[in-house]
Amino acid sequence: MDETTLSVRTAAVRVHGLSRRYGSTRALDGVDLTLERGITGLLGPNGAGKTTLLSVLATVSEPDGGQVSAFGLDPADGAERVEIRRRLGYLPQELGYHRHFTVAAFLDYVAILKEITDRRRRAEEVARVLAVTGLEDRARARIRTLSGGMRQRLGIAQALLGGPELLILDEPTAGLDPEQRLRFRELLSGLAGDPVIVLSTHQADDIAAICPKVVVLLRGQVHFAGTPAELAVTAAGRVWGADERDPHAHLSWRGGDSRWRHIGDEVPDGAELVTPTVEDGYLLLSHAAGAR
Amino acid sequence: MTNSSPGPAEPVAGADGHPGEDLLASYAAGRAGTVDAWSVEAHLPGCARCRAALSAYADAERLARNRSVLLTRAAIGDGGRARRVLRRCGIPDYVLGLLAAAPSLRRSWLLSVVGVLAVVAAEAVAVRYGWIEAGRPSHLGGYPGPGTLAPFVMVAPLLVLAGVAVAFLPMFDPACRLAVAAPFSGFTLLLVRSVSALAAALIPVVAAAFFLPGPGWLPVALLLPSLALSAFALAVATVLDPRTAAVAAAILWLVPVLLLTTSTARGPLLIVQPDAQFVCAAVLCACAVVLYLRHDRFEWGWMR
Repeated sequence: MDETTLSVRTAAVRVHGLSRRYGSTRALDGVDLTLERGITGLLGPNGAGKTTLLSVLATVSEPDGGQVSAFGLDPADGAERVEIRRRLGYLPQELGYHRHFTVAAFLDYVAILKEITDRRRRAEEVARVLAVTGLEDRARARIRTLSGGMRQRLGIAQALLGGPELLILDEPTAGLDPEQRLRFRELLSGLAGDPVIVLSTHQADDIAAICPKVVVLLRGQVHFAGTPAELAVTAAGRVWGADERDPHAHLSWRGGDSRWRHIGDEVPDGAELVTPTVEDGYLLLSHAAGAR
Repeated sequence: MTNSSPGPAEPVAGADGHPGEDLLASYAAGRAGTVDAWSVEAHLPGCARCRAALSAYADAERLARNRSVLLTRAAIGDGGRARRVLRRCGIPDYVLGLLAAAPSLRRSWLLSVVGVLAVVAAEAVAVRYGWIEAGRPSHLGGYPGPGTLAPFVMVAPLLVLAGVAVAFLPMFDPACRLAVAAPFSGFTLLLVRSVSALAAALIPVVAAAFFLPGPGWLPVALLLPSLALSAFALAVATVLDPRTAAVAAAILWLVPVLLLTTSTARGPLLIVQPDAQFVCAAVLCACAVVLYLRHDRFEWGWMR
């Protein structure tokens, strides 16, 4: 059995030839993807189709073409779609809140939507996610009084209700301060049951820190799928450090050490090769695709 | 203290009248039988020694978890007096939890409805008693001045429709994407919200109609048009955008009412007369059938 066949058989989520248009804009253009248990990071610039892809996976959007299956279930079928939703935790990119709700009451409401109808079980589940996200002491606070970072934690908390097997997080670290981002990484890494987690982000360091697999989406197409190390390797031999700016480089910026970092095929004067990072690989891919 | 079911494998009371160590341990672990647990609980308030002994068996983690759940339940709250009353009426708690997110059940919305009704009702009363100038004199079914009720007849079913529309339009639910991605039936959610909004709006409408100086059948006559309009909006939402559906339903009511008001001296009350009631009943039935046949549209998530 070859590696591709094995991957298809063990994949929890499969996407084949997925397309989605908004008017004349093609948001997704023939996306093929397999997601296994563990964390997969979705990297791409604004407008690359990340949110559209995640909303299709979350059964919120209907694709124009192609197939999606999660745990062998087809979201196009009514009963199977509900079954997928029973296993799903979803944090949309722009999650709105009923601002007059308290934190605990909002989570209680979402728990009902997740079919946790028993009152005591709901309270237990709400208490659990409050503890996991560090919001215990804010349980009685009105949502309108929360800071942006706390609201984002509340969004993550609601996604964790019910212990989902498929966790879809659209830019979960947006609005979190560095310490909260570290706590979020710790939280994801410690989730029980080995769920399938897909998170989109602009932060390449989030991907490098917690995602064993990364997918780069550019202009609605998958341009890379592999490990973060493999993404970094795509830039090997094309990242340079120099004291002066090279006008011929594809991309260049000055780092915290005052030295210029160049990404390009030509060797700048007096430059030395440096070890590429995930961000370098991503930037090079973006540049090659003309997405930036 | 007497053990209810003594036996070699059962926890037993101590010989000195205090619960034995085994009994305290099983009580702390939640394994003691009902009678044993009652005995321990009756004994503990008066015995500091046994309370201290019991604390040695307490599972700190479980206690902390229970405390956390209790605090969370307190933070969630019971939803206030209205929710308590409805719960006593037999409505499941989780259904009431869903209603908490319906804007048309919030106090501010209901006060707005009452306010609008008060204005149009006051206008009708003022015209009827000659405080402000009346239009053309006329009679309908023995009731003088039916034209004075024009604003009320026009507005009352629209208020009911607006309440239902606010309950189901995605633009009024900031967390609508979560509802779409959740396994809870979208159609059930829609019905729960719409029916509760309908009931909440109909109560002040019917109450206001009772107090108006109009025909005695007016409160009942407003029910069918209000129900038909709301059902029409929901049925059309299975085909068109929900907002367009709500606007279409409003136009469907406004146009004939305005035409009747301007074209006949008998005023808009004609639209709640028997012939019109029959039409409303037919529309209501047809919309119910459409809703039943096309409910899958709501299961996919009408809020997308």
